[in-house]
Amino acid sequence: MRLAILATLALGLAACQSSDVSRELGARCDNSNDCDVRCLSGADWPGGFCTIACETDVDCQADASCLEEEGGVCAFTCVSDAGCQFLGQGYTCKERDARGGAGKRMVCRGG
Amino acid sequence: MSRRLAIVLLFAPAAAAADDTAAPGQDSATTATAETGNPSAPADMNDQAISATLGVAFGGRTTPGGLAVAGHYFYQLSDHDWFDGSAQFVFGSGGAECFRDRMNDTICDHGLADGYAGGVGAGVRRFLPALASGDFWPFARAGLAAAVVRFPDDETTGITLDAQLGAGMRVAVSEAIAITAQFDFVLGLGRFSNGVGGEPQLGVMVTAGAEFRL
Repeated sequence: MRLAILATLALGLAACQSSDVSRELGARCDNSNDCDVRCLSGADWPGGFCTIACETDVDCQADASCLEEEGGVCAFTCVSDAGCQFLGQGYTCKERDARGGAGKRMVCRGG
Repeated sequence: MSRRLAIVLLFAPAAAAADDTAAPGQDSATTATAETGNPSAPADMNDQAISATLGVAFGGRTTPGGLAVAGHYFYQLSDHDWFDGSAQFVFGSGGAECFRDRMNDTICDHGLADGYAGGVGAGVRRFLPALASGDFWPFARAGLAAAVVRFPDDETTGITLDAQLGAGMRVAVSEAIAITAQFDFVLGLGRFSNGVGGEPQLGVMVTAGAEFRL
């Protein structure tokens, strides 16, 4: 009986697991079919990086900013390289222009 | 006869707790009513019945959800217990929700009402006479179900094996027809294609239907 309860709890917890990334922002990708909107690739985005188009930070989720790259794309914000470790090897915290001349933003990216 | 024996043997553990035993096929519920005035099951419940149910299933991640449609066949096992064989279908919606996380593991994050499923189930429905009131008969249900699950926009297909635990209410509306309402928890495991692999299944189903005695 105890084993059954533990197994049930384990299944329940496993079913509730979540990821830091999503098809909208941060998932690995080879092409846009792997994402909700678009896939950024190349040395600047190791492993591929799903993102969405944006005009301002408001268009991005709370932990992301809108960059003046690729016509405006969302990327995760950070304060240090440690904050980018969840994206894997090649990602560090860098300063980039915000979309629309809205100053600078610290974001996770490669390159 | 051999089919009846097989069904009884298959569900003997669940039926063993019944206070009274009756040979399958006997209308023991009616007998109990007549002899003791303390029935074990609804008096109109025959030894065989069929039902059709409609409702909603709530899933998430890789558990399908949506419109739940099922057909049931009931066969009496004891005074309290009926075998409940079913064909179950879930029709959900939703677009592609699977992706590769940064560890390159494939994760599916479907909503409560996404995906499609079709399968069969077998279980036991036990009436709860202590809680019955007039024509209102509560029951508990336990069973296993196997299904094929499909999330078309992700091109992902899986096979699931679930335990279903639930409870419901049956109300006779005529000699041959009853209506039922039922709530089930679904807990199990699935194996999916497209790199998703093994996934837990966790959901609930709320259904209502009409039951016809045979």
